[in-house]
Amino acid sequence: MVRQASERSPAPRNVFVPFRLGQVFGEPGAEVQQRAVLAVALGALLHVQAPGAILDLPYRWKRSVYRDPLASA
Amino acid sequence: MVGLRRSWQRVLGALYGRLPVLPTLAARRWRSDESGEIPWCPARVRVPEASVALVTSAGVHLRHDRPFDMMNPEGDASFRVIPGDTAARDLTITHDYYDHRAADRDLNCVFPLARLHELARAGWIGRVAPRHIGTMGHILGDEERRLVGETAPAIARLLAADGVHYVLATPG
Repeated sequence: MVRQASERSPAPRNVFVPFRLGQVFGEPGAEVQQRAVLAVALGALLHVQAPGAILDLPYRWKRSVYRDPLASA
Repeated sequence: MVGLRRSWQRVLGALYGRLPVLPTLAARRWRSDESGEIPWCPARVRVPEASVALVTSAGVHLRHDRPFDMMNPEGDASFRVIPGDTAARDLTITHDYYDHRAADRDLNCVFPLARLHELARAGWIGRVAPRHIGTMGHILGDEERRLVGETAPAIARLLAADGVHYVLATPG
């Protein structure tokens, strides 16, 4: 998605992931990737402490290793 | 003309997805009519006890619901309600301004309702909200004013009535 859009008109808490538009949670069928992004995005509730701040996720599409949040649930 | 217009919009949407410089430039040029203080509410409820809703601007709606208006160049600021127990096969996307071929194959790419249910079953969140919201992005001019003045407050009232604690807004 577009980081500049969040900078121009931020929500209270923002999460940026450097994935393509239309695939912001990951690839089709990539359940672990999607769960990992979703779980970390929900973590912004704790980690973003200032209005409008942006949490940059460290993921790099297929080059990242995605930890399944269900594995530690 | 209708078909030509929508084809052109889809070409632009596909280019936006493939050439990241385009949405970046658009974001730099964009000036919202509505500016002001960023709202803030402390996270008072623990996530494992919270009701969580999704609000997406990816154009997701029930297959039998009214599609978003793709003929207004300012977009469509209305919203659609998506029950929390909706199966993916009962949902579709109406949105010409981004490439949603991946999301057509798996809606969780933009609207991770199935993943949210999995996190709820595992105790990561308290529960999935009973209702979620679909809107479309690419809202300009009068439609942007309608979005801010009418649609967003209506969505907030609906989710508050459902006892939702947290909303995750997802783009297309």
